[in-house]
Amino acid sequence: MLDTGAERPVAVSVRNVTQRFAAQGAAGTVVALNDISLDVRRGEFVCLLGPSGCGKSTLLNIIGGLFDASEGSVTVAGQPVKGPSPKRISFIFQESTLYPWYSIRENFDVSFKFQGVPKAEWEGRTRDALAAVGMSRFIDHYPNQLSVGMRQRVNLARGLALDTDIILMDEPFAALDEQTRMVLGEDLSELLAKTGKTIIFVTHSLAEAVFLSDRIFVWTARPGRIKAIIEVGEAHPRSPDFMLTQRFGELRNECYALLRDEVRQAMSLERDAGAPASAGA
Amino acid sequence: MSDASTFTTRSIQIAFVAIMIGVWYGVTTTGSVTPLFLPPIDAVKSAFIRLVQTGQFWSAVRVTLTTIAQAWLIAVVLGILVAYLVTRSKFLVAVFEPVIASTFAIPLTLLFPLFILFFGIGPNSKVAYAATYGFFPVALNTIAGLSSVNEHYLRAARSMGASGFDTFRHVLFPAAFPVILTGLRVSFFISFASVLGGETLSSAAGIGKNIALAAELMEPARMYAWIVFVICITVTLNFVVSAFENRRREY
Amino acid sequence: MTAAQAELPAHRAPAARHGFSYATRVRLTRWIIFAGLLLAWEVYGQTLANPRLISPPSGVLYALFSEILADGRIVTAIFESFREVIVAYVASILLGLAIGLGVGWSSFGRRSFFPIVLLLYAIPQVILLPLFVLIFGIGPACKIAFGISHGVFPIIVNVIAGMRNVNPLYLRSAASMGGSAVDVARHVYFPHMVPSLFTGLRLGMTMTLLGVILAELYVSTQGIGYWTKVYAENFDPAPLLALIAVLALMAIILNSLVRVGERRFTRWRN
Repeated sequence: MLDTGAERPVAVSVRNVTQRFAAQGAAGTVVALNDISLDVRRGEFVCLLGPSGCGKSTLLNIIGGLFDASEGSVTVAGQPVKGPSPKRISFIFQESTLYPWYSIRENFDVSFKFQGVPKAEWEGRTRDALAAVGMSRFIDHYPNQLSVGMRQRVNLARGLALDTDIILMDEPFAALDEQTRMVLGEDLSELLAKTGKTIIFVTHSLAEAVFLSDRIFVWTARPGRIKAIIEVGEAHPRSPDFMLTQRFGELRNECYALLRDEVRQAMSLERDAGAPASAGA
Repeated sequence: MSDASTFTTRSIQIAFVAIMIGVWYGVTTTGSVTPLFLPPIDAVKSAFIRLVQTGQFWSAVRVTLTTIAQAWLIAVVLGILVAYLVTRSKFLVAVFEPVIASTFAIPLTLLFPLFILFFGIGPNSKVAYAATYGFFPVALNTIAGLSSVNEHYLRAARSMGASGFDTFRHVLFPAAFPVILTGLRVSFFISFASVLGGETLSSAAGIGKNIALAAELMEPARMYAWIVFVICITVTLNFVVSAFENRRREY
Repeated sequence: MTAAQAELPAHRAPAARHGFSYATRVRLTRWIIFAGLLLAWEVYGQTLANPRLISPPSGVLYALFSEILADGRIVTAIFESFREVIVAYVASILLGLAIGLGVGWSSFGRRSFFPIVLLLYAIPQVILLPLFVLIFGIGPACKIAFGISHGVFPIIVNVIAGMRNVNPLYLRSAASMGGSAVDVARHVYFPHMVPSLFTGLRLGMTMTLLGVILAELYVSTQGIGYWTKVYAENFDPAPLLALIAVLALMAIILNSLVRVGERRFTRWRN
């Protein structure tokens, strides 16, 4: 069954967003995002794919209400974003944001506390989320006692346990090795097919983007603009066999062709600046 | 940090010193503090000038500096020697390192009366006391430095056929050097403070003795002259050391 | 270095030959060396040593009970300095937290005032000891004040250091989940600060002890300073060593108490 989702309502709408940062050292500003507009439909899995420093993460933070855009607006479910909306949007960051000073259980508890979830639900939701990623045994461990992969798995579970309609993921698997990354990608695809959440996922990885997305937004180098939108059109949950198909290879090559020049340009931007771009990402 | 914010913070720091001096000036001229506790700046200044003109000043400085140099030298040599011997095996490190570390947490000033008993009130008791105190940071940092050298470097050196001495000279020592250097710095400042402390507690000569003596004779201006002198030396030394360390860090 | 290499396998396979674990062997070796040194000291003290300078451990032990603990005045002096240490330590903690939090709260405060605090910390405070006696007299007030002036700096410095380098992702994550300012202070800033705070408390204890003992020794007309002076001048090493041992024991116990607290509150760091 092929569902492009074109008829579903819009969950996130970005209109003409521009973002400028005060430049470090020299006077003036750096334009991180240049007049971005995009729509994400409810239940859709969207990837933002682009060279480093193109502003993908910045856009994610603006959608989540953690940064204010210099210009333009973002609406979520028809309402303008004016700050974090913990009931509707949850974040999963590049590295685990589980606090090392709390056990896994305490980390979930404190997240629920932040979010304002009634105490009676804490225990059950924690158990369900950990069971979904196969980490139930580790409920009383401290994050430092787990491997990086296990930690990010728990981090993912925590994001899901917050039970928001929209999840923003900022390269959540970037710190993992290729194999762990693939396994977690499969898990994610499976979990999402069940829950029908709206996901915006930032990544560097071509294979990850093609494997997970309904649509891929390919970005230019800084200042970031959207260069092309690629429809993947493959139902979730996706099996690893999808990666062996010819279609997967074609999509991957298409993304690569679009990106190649941008990556080179991003690298020359870094060289001219004399140092790797650290701000924004 | 940008130049503008460095400028702001520097200004605040200079303002802080200026305010301290201003408060000193203010409270002494209005007479809100008895000159016994805090004499006017002018009195301290003229006491300092009188002090420098007498031979007594330079002989006290010489005694103190010689004592510090001797104590520090002993501390460094013994500290590195002990650390080298202890790091010959991981087992020895496990046995001795915690003992050395927790001994250092005891106020070793307690041993000072013993050193007076053994060596009398001359400079030797101060050398022994300051060398004892200064030994610990050198030993602890050198142990930490030598025992945390990346195993791969050592294995690579051996694979290339380096001898034990070669390994020490070209791998172990350079790799551990930054940590050892920290130990040397801390040890110097501890030796410095310990010599002054020992002289203040019980001594016949030196800067510390002169401060205690001035207090005993109720001559606060002379006491403050010494105190300000020591503070200036400390601040200068700190700037020199941190400038040196910043330059090293650039490599 | 070859010795260290040779030791590696033994470290990995904890001494099955001896039947002891590695940790036990370490502790055993430590005690054997300690006992050996004590024995050597005893033999040396009994035979070759000048009795006016060195007393054997047995003599020190005898003096502990016959002179130090038997003399009410000395016991009172020891308790007095114990009380001074406790009062000075508590005051150092309160003052250190107040100043540390005040300076460390904003990055502006840290950048402007942290260098000043560090510079003050570097000054050998012992040169101010005669001034403290001049201002506070020779009683407990002077010793407590001097203890505070020593103990407060490491606490300030480590509180400030502990407030730096909070992982910005933790803050952003807390904001995205709707954590309030109070929540963030309690669940992010405070736990992040705890290890550094305890480092400060540990060093603060060492320094408070140093400050109080320095002041005690300086005031040689009463308290512990008087007794150490009397024993040193009379070349009577046994009670001197016994008194030093009692004070060292007090320091060791106080330090271990702080360490127990530290371990209890920083378990998550493994």
